[in-house]
Amino acid sequence: MSETLLKVESLEKFFPVKAGVFKRTKGYVKAVNDVSFEVKAKETLSLVGESGCGKSTLGRSILRILEPTGGKVLFNDKNILDYSKQDLRKMRRDMQLVFQDPYSSLNPRMTVRELVSEPLYTHFSISKVEANQRVDEILEKVGLPLEHSKRYPHQFSGGQRQRISIARALVLKPKLVVADEPVSALDVSIQAQILKLLVDLQEEFDLTYLFISHDLNVVKHISDRVGVMYLGKIMELADTEALYQDPLHPYTKALLSAVPTSDPLVKKERIILKGDVPSPTDPPSGCPFHQRCPLAEEQCRNVLPEFVEVRPEHWVACHLVEE
Amino acid sequence: MEPILQIKDLQIDVKMDEEVLNVVKNINLEIGKREIYGIVGESGSGKSLTSLAIMGLLASPPLQVSKGEIVFEEEKDLLKLSPKELRKIRGNKISMIFQEPMSALDPLFTIEDQLMESLKFHTKLSKKEMKRACVKIIERVGIPRPEQIMKEYPHQLSGGMRQRIMIAIAMLCNPKLLIADEPTTALDVTIQAQILELMKELRDDFETSILMITHDLGVIAETCQRVAVMYAGEIVEETDVVSLFHRPKHPYTKGLLKSMVGDRSDALYSIPGKVPSVEQMPTGCRFVTRCPEAMDICARVSPDDLEVAENHRCKCWIYQEEMANHV
Repeated sequence: MSETLLKVESLEKFFPVKAGVFKRTKGYVKAVNDVSFEVKAKETLSLVGESGCGKSTLGRSILRILEPTGGKVLFNDKNILDYSKQDLRKMRRDMQLVFQDPYSSLNPRMTVRELVSEPLYTHFSISKVEANQRVDEILEKVGLPLEHSKRYPHQFSGGQRQRISIARALVLKPKLVVADEPVSALDVSIQAQILKLLVDLQEEFDLTYLFISHDLNVVKHISDRVGVMYLGKIMELADTEALYQDPLHPYTKALLSAVPTSDPLVKKERIILKGDVPSPTDPPSGCPFHQRCPLAEEQCRNVLPEFVEVRPEHWVACHLVEE
Repeated sequence: MEPILQIKDLQIDVKMDEEVLNVVKNINLEIGKREIYGIVGESGSGKSLTSLAIMGLLASPPLQVSKGEIVFEEEKDLLKLSPKELRKIRGNKISMIFQEPMSALDPLFTIEDQLMESLKFHTKLSKKEMKRACVKIIERVGIPRPEQIMKEYPHQLSGGMRQRIMIAIAMLCNPKLLIADEPTTALDVTIQAQILELMKELRDDFETSILMITHDLGVIAETCQRVAVMYAGEIVEETDVVSLFHRPKHPYTKGLLKSMVGDRSDALYSIPGKVPSVEQMPTGCRFVTRCPEAMDICARVSPDDLEVAENHRCKCWIYQEEMANHV
């Protein structure tokens, strides 16, 4: 297996909840709670989960867009949480983010050329000629005609805008790209176009993706490995094939069974979960999933299960899964 | 099967300054009693406009129905009713649920107020009876502690709960037809599964027909009996759900099925290009700019709506040519 590019160790991001006249801290929203995993070079690791599970917060904490409250993020074996602001900026050349909403993440007053060259001027002292050349190159790679470089974001469709966002991220030639729901706002036929583009670019530039999504079908298609998150924790992490064919955690099983079929003749055995995701301000004791888990036992209510490797490269946090 | 709703040759135009542009054209469909009928299409395909036209809720001007009939229960043409008559049907015999349950509920009123509103308008029940009906329907849609929930405001509920409340409001007057416009798009998969299950149960209990409008072919496969595929304001294919998934005819449907991510084959298929804008609508077949099988004639003349197999309509030159050759 290839080397590790990114290693996350017991990462935590707690948001304080303040109340009262003196804004005293009343408690914490544990958005990311003791999460550890590794991303290998040139692979695509996906994080899936329902809204509010902390997957976006995790992605942002890794890039220090949100300052984590605990743990370590090792990028190329160096803990980036120790970096000064200047070092961090240098490091960001290698770690870029693609956002979900291509409508709000592009400045409407800038042309495509300005948008895509902006990161170059921020990170390098580069001549205009050289910058323009690199912009031309990357626009071609993401499939935007050069004559579009004088246009403004509002003149493009959602899919085209997402191409601009991708060009913006890739113009710096990063090593790691964190893609936070990059296709969720797009129509099915356009989704497929953008996913294909991401896969092609990965091969061409040797990129490593941390792909964040709620869409299990998209994730299945694009990932090498998948982590399933629930209430700020990773519940299961395994190879895509193993996770989809043989899920071990009851939550993963329920989540997979809830995905609509693509064939009306196939009737799936469906596990319908009761209720909603509990509030992360007041997470349940023991296993965070026990209130909705169809198999919960006494120990699940009291003891937090550890995240253990039950099979080679297959990690699960559940009392009921045997090694 | 007895039809509950028939749409005949519906056309919707948008009036812009001097120009009149066509947005929805030649819509023909029939929804049977107790049927779940799906309309699937990408954004801008005109599926929501069609549903708003049924409800008489098109923003007019600039939008207007310029042609066609929408016949409800085989007698009334909804397009010819006065606003007053339409109000009696809307929310009573035909009701609707929307995509975004947060913006569809009024944040300033309690759940009880919002449920009672339609009962007050459509029934002559006493206050006590109305309350009882509300509690019953909230229980039916699977919300625990109904009395307490009635006193709460929409922001106190989760997305799934809000959508259940929307469904409760829609089902209160026991409608003959429920129009569901992307009812689960804003929800997570596990909650989506709950809501779809609930809608199927309600169809059986209340004998309601459902018009399911969605962009998600998975939702269609799960719930519907018949499906219409819309593209750029037209129905390009219409058939039962099994035929659509196993014997699709129109190149657009085929492309859409192939671009369903993550299933079957590994190579991801994508339909090139994008939906043409209203101003740049091709003169012939509207899919011609993106069609892998386009022929000369497609760009010039619009194909007819043909019955290509039993109960299977498709609007494509490939089949029209084939049939012409047979004759």
